[in-house]
Amino acid sequence: MTDAPDGTGRSQVPGPAAGDEGAVARQAPLPEGLPPDANRRLAELEDRPGHKGMFTSDLSVNEFLLIKEVGFHPLGFVMGSSIYHLGIQTRRWSQSQELTKLTGAMYEARQLAMDRMDAEATELGADGVVGVRLDVNYYEWGSDTAEFIAVGTAVKSEDGRSYRNRQGKPFTSDLSGQDFWVLMQTGHVPLGLVMGTCVYHIAHRGVGQTLRNAGRNVELPNFTQALYEARELAMTRMQDEANELDASGIVGVRLEEKTHMWGDHTIEFLSLGTAVADAATAGHTIPQPQTIISLDG
Amino acid sequence: MTPTAGAEAELPEEGIPEAATRRLTSGAWTSGLSVTDFASCLDMGMQPLGYVQGYAVMQWSWFMATGGMGGFGLGGTWNAPTRHGQYVEQWRCPHGFVSAEHRMYGMNYELTWLEQSWATGWGLAMQRMIDEASELEATGVIGIIDEMRPLAGGGTVEFRASGTAVRVADAPRPQPPFTTYLSGQRLAKLFEAGFAPVSVAATMASVRMLGYCITHYQLAGAAGGSWYGASAGGASGVGPVDQVNRAEAAARRLARERIRTQLGADVLHGATLEQFHREIGEGDLSIQCTLKGSRVRQFKAFDPLPEPRPVVRLSDPVGGIAP
Repeated sequence: MTDAPDGTGRSQVPGPAAGDEGAVARQAPLPEGLPPDANRRLAELEDRPGHKGMFTSDLSVNEFLLIKEVGFHPLGFVMGSSIYHLGIQTRRWSQSQELTKLTGAMYEARQLAMDRMDAEATELGADGVVGVRLDVNYYEWGSDTAEFIAVGTAVKSEDGRSYRNRQGKPFTSDLSGQDFWVLMQTGHVPLGLVMGTCVYHIAHRGVGQTLRNAGRNVELPNFTQALYEARELAMTRMQDEANELDASGIVGVRLEEKTHMWGDHTIEFLSLGTAVADAATAGHTIPQPQTIISLDG
Repeated sequence: MTPTAGAEAELPEEGIPEAATRRLTSGAWTSGLSVTDFASCLDMGMQPLGYVQGYAVMQWSWFMATGGMGGFGLGGTWNAPTRHGQYVEQWRCPHGFVSAEHRMYGMNYELTWLEQSWATGWGLAMQRMIDEASELEATGVIGIIDEMRPLAGGGTVEFRASGTAVRVADAPRPQPPFTTYLSGQRLAKLFEAGFAPVSVAATMASVRMLGYCITHYQLAGAAGGSWYGASAGGASGVGPVDQVNRAEAAARRLARERIRTQLGADVLHGATLEQFHREIGEGDLSIQCTLKGSRVRQFKAFDPLPEPRPVVRLSDPVGGIAP
């Protein structure tokens, strides 16, 4: 990812810099296609002569009901994973700055997991993936190593209409079954789970600054400015992804902050949301909610 | 804007940071609303324009360097804090022993510098968020979330405010845009009830409680030696338990009084009152009381709601269809 957030999208995120000390490096490239175990698992889900398929999903019964009601059918639980070694990057004690190598690493690792989940969904012929969850796990056996996981339920439209996005990929979304149903009622369709990240080092205060402000409650403009910049970078990158999908908007934006294993002054700002497009036909109306009173105790 | 620690005050005096301008001029709108709140927003004729935010990092000290806390003078006399605000209360030591070493008082007083810092930090964050909404030519900001969190380095806190800027087609655009903590159906019901949001209102009141007496503490060794244990012995007419109650009540009263001054003739809707203690030392408490809500104004008479339809939930509400 470049220093300036000038429309950086997924394709512009740099991979590991070869030969760079401390750069993040993917050691053993995975095969182009899906792993054999994934192929076997997915093959069991598909209908074919002599084999009756079935679906798996992590949807609750109610979510399943709503997904069916809105005209989709679950195909299978899909996932993608990437175990990534996060390199080191020197940072100046007294300077607030983006740590671009770590930003690139956190972004690429999630993207690899998402791409592999997408590949599983494509293998099933899905139109989209709902209920996507992105997690990061750390293990004792790997210092500076993290596993990035993306899981969700692949779904397909029952009326034969394609809901794939302009990149020809199944849409992804972190919406629950209930939210998916509501979104479709508004005349919008999901296009993809979009994200932007920024790993930022917040400068330490110098002795002079600390002494000048001793005993005073005042704004610390340098801190404010640094955190502002970091969040804006993450959100701008998320919006750039949405623009690439030709989205009309992003719903459910979340701004998460984690220090991971880097200490208090280095923070990852992760912005996530579901890009949507307005697909309502003329005269589309949103159903009026009804007032109810629960008779449950 | 290139952030460095060495430079001072690089935030713009007015308007929004350059980084925010870059984001807000991007194409797609963003929204921090959930899908259900987004649907309600469209249903009310509101078009989301963008996720707007404001931040302020403040140095946060419980002690003032310039005589704010007061201190003990000759003969054990207490010099009251110079900025104790509207509330000061003192108790005399029941043992009648007075010396420079003997802290003969129990004392509660208002921490005005902490209140002013809170108001400054909260106000800056909120104003920056509103500036972003104005940049988008928004009618209002809904679903506001504000919080105050400690930041790296200790002694610093960050005030955060975020929400979704919306525009109401064909409606006059108030200046500044209206703000509210409400969104979705709660906001829709507010309109149905004949009220419109004006702004968020919030205040914080803080009271410091110095509740120890050394003679009392030493005499109550058999009661466990702790200041709370000592107070439970009841050797003193006015012990810390009563003092804490009075300090809490004072903080709540101050918060209520101040928020009334922000309301004018309007109403505070969905008020939340949070109170927490920080034990600075033995018998030394700081109490913070935060009161916030949405300031709303009646614009029409109340229309009765449609008669609700009785429902019985057949499943666990968690993840279920029924609300």
